[in-house]
Parts: sequence; structure tokens; C-alpha cells
Amino acid sequence: MRKLKTLIMATAAASTFATAALAERGSDGNLNIAYWQAVSILNPYLSGGTKDIEASSLILDPLANYRPDGSMEPALATEIPTIENGGVSEDLKSITWKLRDDVVWSDGTPFTAADVVFSANYCLHPEGGCNAASNFADVESVEAVDDHTVKINFSVAKPFPYGPFVGATAPVIQEAQFKDCMGAKAPECTDANFGPIGTGPFVVDEFRANDVVTYKANENYRDPAQPAFATVVLKGGGDSASTTRSVLETGEFDYAWNVQVEPEVLAQMQAAGNGEIIAAFGTSVERLMVNLTNPDPALGDKRSTVEGGPHPFLSDKAVRQALSMAIDRDILVEVGYGPNGQVTCNVLPAPEIYASTANDACKTQDIEGANKLLDEAGWMPGPDGIREKDGVRLSILYQTSTNSVRQGTQALVKQMWQEIGVETELRNIDAGVFFGGDQSSPDTFQKFFADIEMYTNNFDGTDPEAYMGNWVCSEIPSPANQWIGNNMPRFCSEEYDALSKEMGKTASIEKRAELAKKMNDMLMQEYVMIPLIHRGRVSAKSNALGNVTLNPWDSELAFAEEWTRVE
Amino acid sequence: MLNYTLRRLLFAIPTLLVISFIIFVILDLAPGDPTGQLPLTIPAEVRAQIRESLGVGEPIHIAYFKWLRGFFVYEPLYWLDQMGLTIGDPADRARIISYATRGPVFDLILERIPQTLWVVGLSYVFGILIALPIGVISAYKQYSWFDQLGTFISMVGFSVPTFFTGLLMIVIFSVQLGWFPSVYDTTLEVNSWESFIKQVKQMVMPVAVLALYNASQISRFMRASMLDNLTQDYVRTARAKGMSEKVVVLTHVLRNSLIPVVTVIALGVPTIFSGAIITEQIFRVNGLGQLLIIGIQGSDFPLVQTLTFIFAILIVLFNLIADVIYGILDPRIRYD
Amino acid sequence: MTKHDQVLVKAQNVKVHFPIHKGIFRRQVGSVKAVDGLSFEIRKGETLGLVGESGCGKSTAGRAMLRLYELTEGQLDFEGVDIAKLNPKELRSVRPRMQMIFQDPQACLNPRMTVGSIIAEPLDEHTNLSTAEKREKVKGLLDAVGMNRDYVNRYPHEFSGGQRQRIGIARALALDPDFIVCDEPIAALDVSIQAQVVNLLQDIQERMGLTYLFISHDLSMVRHIADRVAVMYLGKIVELAEKRDLYKTPKHPYTQALLSAVPVPDPEIEAKREHIVLKGDVPSPANPPKGCNFCTRCPIAIERCRTEEPELRELKKGQFVACHLAE
Repeated sequence: MRKLKTLIMATAAASTFATAALAERGSDGNLNIAYWQAVSILNPYLSGGTKDIEASSLILDPLANYRPDGSMEPALATEIPTIENGGVSEDLKSITWKLRDDVVWSDGTPFTAADVVFSANYCLHPEGGCNAASNFADVESVEAVDDHTVKINFSVAKPFPYGPFVGATAPVIQEAQFKDCMGAKAPECTDANFGPIGTGPFVVDEFRANDVVTYKANENYRDPAQPAFATVVLKGGGDSASTTRSVLETGEFDYAWNVQVEPEVLAQMQAAGNGEIIAAFGTSVERLMVNLTNPDPALGDKRSTVEGGPHPFLSDKAVRQALSMAIDRDILVEVGYGPNGQVTCNVLPAPEIYASTANDACKTQDIEGANKLLDEAGWMPGPDGIREKDGVRLSILYQTSTNSVRQGTQALVKQMWQEIGVETELRNIDAGVFFGGDQSSPDTFQKFFADIEMYTNNFDGTDPEAYMGNWVCSEIPSPANQWIGNNMPRFCSEEYDALSKEMGKTASIEKRAELAKKMNDMLMQEYVMIPLIHRGRVSAKSNALGNVTLNPWDSELAFAEEWTRVE
Repeated sequence: MLNYTLRRLLFAIPTLLVISFIIFVILDLAPGDPTGQLPLTIPAEVRAQIRESLGVGEPIHIAYFKWLRGFFVYEPLYWLDQMGLTIGDPADRARIISYATRGPVFDLILERIPQTLWVVGLSYVFGILIALPIGVISAYKQYSWFDQLGTFISMVGFSVPTFFTGLLMIVIFSVQLGWFPSVYDTTLEVNSWESFIKQVKQMVMPVAVLALYNASQISRFMRASMLDNLTQDYVRTARAKGMSEKVVVLTHVLRNSLIPVVTVIALGVPTIFSGAIITEQIFRVNGLGQLLIIGIQGSDFPLVQTLTFIFAILIVLFNLIADVIYGILDPRIRYD
Repeated sequence: MTKHDQVLVKAQNVKVHFPIHKGIFRRQVGSVKAVDGLSFEIRKGETLGLVGESGCGKSTAGRAMLRLYELTEGQLDFEGVDIAKLNPKELRSVRPRMQMIFQDPQACLNPRMTVGSIIAEPLDEHTNLSTAEKREKVKGLLDAVGMNRDYVNRYPHEFSGGQRQRIGIARALALDPDFIVCDEPIAALDVSIQAQVVNLLQDIQERMGLTYLFISHDLSMVRHIADRVAVMYLGKIVELAEKRDLYKTPKHPYTQALLSAVPVPDPEIEAKREHIVLKGDVPSPANPPKGCNFCTRCPIAIERCRTEEPELRELKKGQFVACHLAE
């Protein structure tokens, strides 16, 4: 009976999936995946970390996934709702998803809008401790318009309404299985949490918490040709070096997650020729923040605030630009990051549609140009080679958190700046203090009692609106707001604030991209932030594994149904 | 002896309660946050909600009482349920739940016992089987080349850390020669000759690494104990009686020398259950040791508390067993 | 004294040297000359006392007599057979005839064996007795040493020192030996028990016609039990004589010094007696002095003593002395 059904479905789907139907479901045998953090639970809403969410992404599907290029692709929905297709309301306060009507759960029961509504309520339950709650922020209600239409209402206008049910962090779970597991009862449903029924390409065969998950192909998966693998073993434990070795050197595994191995060791492992390193770059950028206000201790309470007045030399754009030009970012990548990093000239380096190309000049070091710029601006080398003007010396206090890679970068940058006559004093602060919000400590990154500071920031998902909103005037940290705020450079521009406001009202992706690029370019060309390294996600894959693209926007395993065995 | 054992068991109860409370207080004071491994993009208020749903931050006496009740009342009742002996309402079993897996801690522990016993336990057995003859021969032929070699190997086994020997074995036998898998498959079911061979293959390296370590310790004890006894007068007596060397060494010396060694071996048994954290990690055996480490890393306090307490029980128990064995083996010792 | 005419044990130039190893490669750098050329005879049925300070090699000599140590040199005849040359198998067949009683009755009994099995063990090895016969024999032996025959199932630690020594004696007697080396059998016992054990030994000797080598540092006890006495100093015999001769007219200055140290049970005489106090320490047996071993402490040593080693010579019938000056 089931065979017949599969057959009918296969025929029905054959026309829509003509390109994908090259392989046969389960024809490629077993897939071995190694995670150095073991999986603890397969319910992503109760998970304790990325590894759990990714392991469950093989079982559960959201309405749409992010492709490796950052674009959205419908999974359980028929299309991505937009204003153009009427899926998103004009006032940006609701989104209506049309669901596929041919999807069944792995237990054979049909998937309906009720399951989606249930999933939202499950996560929104105040006692449930759902970790995807921020995906559902501002959700007022979720209603099933009909069996295959779901409408999500927001309490505020949401130009980017794709938080709920897009990406592996917020998938759809089955109402029938979880209906008795709401709120405080959530942890009691061990069987459901360890073996959720899903619509994804695989179903759980056996789960040993904190150890290993074995999956087998979901016979009811919506694409009859997928997944290519009949079974998957996701083994946890060990450390990053050992999981990487098991792919690159011993060839026991096909895929190793999150490679964190020193560049030279990695090169050695790669030499065995069993596999390769794949990298994907999300939004993490290691950058220098330039303090536009005066951090002089003599200012007392007004230190590093707008009231304290502009910085004695960093308020000169020529100096800021020269500092950026003097840096050889290639060397920083090579020494500290290897495949984990690449040179960038933007604080908003991805997704592709948001990435500006207007600032690419910074990719090559230009000592000569920097020197010329400073000469023209009147900063002349003093007797000790350090440039000065009107009694102000170019002497920088450069702080960051304690971390061997960061201290290496600091030392290199100091040398580079020496070449343009800039003196640098290095300082590193324990990460707990530096990033901790302790009001009484003078060493937090918000207080910024230094001239330059370095750290990494990023944003979740693909939408940069909130991230780009970090540098509006109102985000400047000061004693008045208990130093809470993300605008470390204390950059303030009416034009920028206007752009940010406009983005909050714009729904069209293209227009939003345009705005975001503009904002990024503005920050870059004012040199209030000096981006250094675009930091990526790195995994290892065996040569015998095909059709794998590392996905920085969603679960790495979000498209595992497309993976194949190649000889 | 029976009285003594019973008395010791009774005394063990308050000791263990105090231990459990100390563990609880230490874990409570320890920094750590079960939401610490969540991605940084999850905001603070969501984290607070998660912590609340887990019951983190309850007053310590309430949390301790709940745990005690879970450990001593609900868990035993649950297992009785499983055996078909239901007392009270089986739906009302507030078992100890792990923060990370949201599953009962005891189920996790039970799942780990087979591989831990197979790998760590077997390595202990092999370690002993190797160590005893080496210790005996080394002592009997003190300063011979065999003794020197044995001393050298046990020094190596004792001083070279298992993460090094483990890695070395992986590089040689997995990477270079490809004889054995470097990753232990905990889901392998032994039901045929082939799967048995597979099981043996995946056990070879972790067992060898641990057996070397155990053997080097025990063989030293054995050797020292043999040397102590070999110079005793009763050995000379036995020789003077005209006993053959075999009888002298095996019957007289060995049997007496085994007394302290057996005690050491018995005291070492709890370490089997606490697993070999490093070795399990290297070969991804994922036994009890790895479970404990994951619990610690993820601030999974119910899991850590329960595991450490079980280890405490085992240690107290095997101390008692060692004492009892000592009493049985050595007629000079009487506990009554 | 006709019963003492037949020689049972004859030692000729017996040496036991223990090698000293030093350094990384444990090369032999010298040797401890624990026993350095002993020659004497023990006659059937007699008790030869062997006395000396602790560390003089008397225990080693005793053990060497049973070949519990390998001899470095020398010949050791037991009823005319040189046991120093026997292979292990032949040696084991001789073992039942020569036994030993040890100083520490606690240490010499295997703590994990019952009294019965300790005594019976040699019977298993050397006889073909049935279990019942063995049990009878063990009980008989316990009777012989004055112990309750129900003690067979007890362990050694359950007994007092004197009782343990009786067990040790019973054990030694199990195979009906001819020759027993008693290595300070009473040194570890209470004074009140010492006499009992010595009397028991004498008793048994008479009953079973045993020959003893009785090693002790207690001159008065040796005087009580021995027929002849040998005095050892630093691995060598310095004087060997009939008990009466030795105690009355000691010839060697060392013997004289030893005897002068034995208190006399009369305070008045004791107060007037002249004590010879030896100066200095016993030299290391690893590095004995040139010439006479005793020359470093001898009150009457002359130049000759420091260059020439004195022979053990028969000064008068049955009295042998190793001193250049003795007359």
C-alpha cells in the first residue's frame, strides 16, 4: 500500500522535480557525520546549542530554509510570501503562508495548518522555556485560515516578517505528538523530545543522548527521489581535531562539523587527500572600532562621551583612513585564521545582496598612500619618527579581549602602523570583563576608555536591519543610558539615522539591500569602523560526498537530502 | 564479619548523605549556566525564561530536597514499576531530569554502562591479567633484564598520558595502517561473527591504551608486594622444608603477596565506572566518563550531581568490599 | 662421649659472599664477606653452639649449613655427601633430613596457612602418607612439642610467641630430620618462655637423637645447651672448644672479652670482676682489615696481627684458636 502511494507521489512529483530526480531514494547507503559536540536532544525548541538544532534539522522542516547564498527557499510552504504576491500585508503587520498540500508526517498522517499554529503556541508558551522565542518576537497570534494556509499577526510593523518558521531554529513540530507537552510539561515528553515525528528527509532510528543519533530515510518525504542516503549516523564527542582527522585522514567519516584546527595542522591533515575543507561566510566581522570621542582620563565623568569633546586626532578622517590603508589584511588572515577567515572591507559583508563593493580598495595595503595622506593633512614625523601636529602625537591605545589570535593580530597591526609613523600601545582585557556589562568596571567595550578597540560582531539570520541600526545616534553608550548601546565609535549622523528609519519601513528586499549598502558604505567611508577579517564557518567533507555546500545562514544539514555519494 | 559489614553499611548512610549535600553545595556555588552553550544571538530575556523552566535558581534546600526525593524515592519506585511492582501512582514519578537532554538522568546513565564496562572494565581485567605475571616474574628475578624491561614499560605506561598513547595509536593503526577504527560505534550490536570481529576491532585500541596504564600500576604493586614477601622467613622455611620453587613462589609468596594487591584492585573498581574520561573522549567511546564531562561542560547540574553521587556510593561500597576481602584473605584480620 | 664420635656435618673452608652492585649498570664493585672460610665438624647427637655479636655472620653460616644460601666456595659434607654440589632435585631429597628453627616464630610461619597445613606441607612433598596418617602425624607432633592437638585449624597469629616457636619446632620435626639448625630460636621470646623452649629442644634431642647447630648471641644459654662452642667474629671462627674449656679457659682475646661481659649472678663478685671493654666498631664485612680480623679492636694486638692472618690451630686437644698470641 505504502509502495503504491510512494509510486503515485513519485509520478506526481516527477514533473515538478524533474531535475532533482536523478538519484533514487536511499540508493547511496550510509552517511557518517561527526560532531565534536554530542547531540543532547532532538527537539530544537528545547535544545542547548547549535549541534542539537542541526541534528534535528534532518528530521524537522520549517516553512522555508535559507540557501547557502542567503536566499529563502520554501520547504513546507509553496512560496515565500512577499508584499508583491500578497503574502505580506501592506502595513507589514501580518504574513500569510500557503502550505503544500502533498506533505505527510513521517508517521503517514497529513501535515496541516493546525500543526503550524500548534508549533507557534508551543514556543510562545511562557513556561516552556523555548529557546527560539526571539524568532517569535512580536507575534500576536497565529491562525489557520484553512487547512493549508497560516496567517501570522504581529503587534508591530515587521518589514522582515520571516522570523517564525524560517530556518532550522524554528521548524514545525507535530501537534499530535506534542499536544500534551505544552509549557511546564515540555521536558517530561522524553520520547517526543528524543524522537520527534517530522516532515524532513530522515527519521530517528536510534538516539543515544550526548552520544550518537542514527537516522533512516523518511519514506514519506515529499520528494520521492530524496534523500539519496538510506541511513545517517551522526556521532558526537571527541574534539575538533579528532573529528576532522576522521574525515581527512582516516576517511571513517564523510562530514565533520565546525573545524577549529590550527592552520598548519589542518594543512597536514588535508595532505592525506581524503577530503577537503569547506568554508562559508556569514556575517561575523572582526573589526576595529575607532573612538571619535576623547578618552582622556583627565575628563573624568565625561571621558569617552560626546560631551567630552572630539578625539584629539581620530576625529580627523585622514588619520582614520590612513590607519585603515596601512593594514595588510592578508597577513592577518594567513597568520591568525587560515581558512576560517577572509579579507573584508565591509562591516556588512553578507548576504551577497547586501555586500557592498565600493570599499574594496582596502584589500591591498597602501603604506605609501597612507603616508601621503598624513603628510597632506599636516601630520609630520617628529624627531622619534612619530607623526605629530600642533603638539598632538599620533599615539594610540589599542585594546581587545584576551585571546591568542587577537593578541597576534594586535602585534601585527602595531608593526604596520609603525611604518606610517603611528605609535601604538597594546592592551588586552579578560573577555568576561571586556564583554561583561559590569557598570563599575572601566574596562568594558562599551565604556571604550581607549582609542581603538577590536572585537567581532555579527547578526542572526539574513536580515541586517537591527544590526545596521547599531550605529544610529541614540545607540551611543553614555552614563545617561548606563553605557548600554552598540554605537561604540560614538558615530552620529542625521543622514545615517534617516536611512535606518527608512529601512524600518521598507519591505522590498532590493530596496532594503540598497539602503543597507548605503549605510555600510557611509560607515566605511567615514572610517569610523575599520573592518579586518570576515570570519567564517568551516567544516570538513570527504571527497566521496557530493553536492555539499556549507550553509552559513541555516543548519549545515538543512539540505542534507541533496547530498550524494560520489566515487 | 556479617555484623561488621552491616555496621559499616549503616555508617555509610550518613556519610553518603553528607557527601551528596557537599556535592550539591559545590555545584550550586560553581559558576555556570545551562543556557551558556546557546548561540549568542539568543537574547537575555529568553535565556532567563529557559532557566526558569529548568528550575535553575530555586532555593538550595528546596532543590536539594527535590533531588534527594528523586534519587531515593521516585527512581526506585520507577524501576519497581518497570519490574511490574507498582506502589502508588506510576504517573507521579518526578524523576531526575537532565537540563541538557530533558530526559531522565538514570536512562542516560544506563545507556552508557555497556560501553564503559566493555571498554574500561575489560581493560582493567586485561591490565590485571598482564600485571600479575609481570609483577611476579619481575620480583622473582629482581634486576634481571626482564625486570628492567618491565620497569621501563611500566614507567612509560604510567608516565605517558593516555591522550598521547591514544593519539599515537590512532596515527599508527588508524591513519597509517588502517587496521582499526578511530571512532567507537556505540550502536553496534553483536549478533554475528562479523559484528563480533567489528566489536573486537573497535575495542582493541582503547582497551590497549587503558590496559597499559592499569597494568603498569598494578604490576608495580605486585612486584613490590612480592619483594616484601620473598625475603620473609616463612619463605625460607618453605625452602628449608624442601618445597619446589614452584610451590614456594606460587603457593607461599604469591598468595600472601596478593592480599594488598587484591585490595588495590578492589579499590580501583569504582574508577571503571567513572570511566576513563580522556580515553573515552579520544576514541569517542562515549561512556560514563564522557557523559560526566559533557554534563560539566554544559552545566547540566542534575546529571553531574547524580553521577558524582553514584561514584561516591561506589567508592564507599568498594572500600567496604576491599576491607571485607582483606579480612577473608588475611586470617590475621578479624573485624568482630 | 662415644655417641659423639661420628661426624654428621663437616664444613671445610665454607665461604658465603654477597656481591655489592652499584651504579647505573649495577656492576659488581665488591662483596660482603658474610662467611669467610669456616671449617668445623658437627658430630652426631651433639649440640654445637655458635656465638658471636650480631652481624658476625652466624645466621648466614647457619643458613649456609642447610644450603639456603649458595656457597661461594668450600665443601659441605652431610654424612659424607657434599651438599654444596648437589643439583636442586638431589638437594630436595636431602632436605627432609636437615631442618631449621628460626629466630622470629611469627615471620617464619606463613600467615595464611593453618598450623595443620604448615606442619603437614612437607609431608605432602616428601612422603606418601594418606590424609588420615598425615593428620595423625601432625597431631603427634603437636603432642611432642606440648601443644593442644586441637590447634591444627588455627592460624599462627592466634598464638603467643612461645607457642609459635613450638609450632616452628613441630614443623621442623615433621620429616624426622637428623640435623636441625636452631637460629636464635629463643631471642625473640620472653625470658620466662626461653627456658621452656630450650628445655623442649633438649628433650626432643634426647628422644629423637638429633644433632643441633645452636646459634645464639646469648653465652649463658649456649653454655646451658651446647656440648661444644664456636665463637665467630667477622665471618670467621676465632675459637672452637669443648664447652668446659671455652668457658673456663678462653684463649682468644675476643672470647675473653665476650665472656667478661656476661654478668655473674652474685653482686659482690660481679662488682669486683674485670670487664674487658672492646673499643671501636666491628669493621665492615665488605672491607675486612688486613691480617687478623680482630686486630682493629684487640687489646693485645701486635704488629704481626696487622699483616698476617692467624690460622685456626689446635692449642690443646679439642680447643682451636685463631690467634698468634694464644698459648
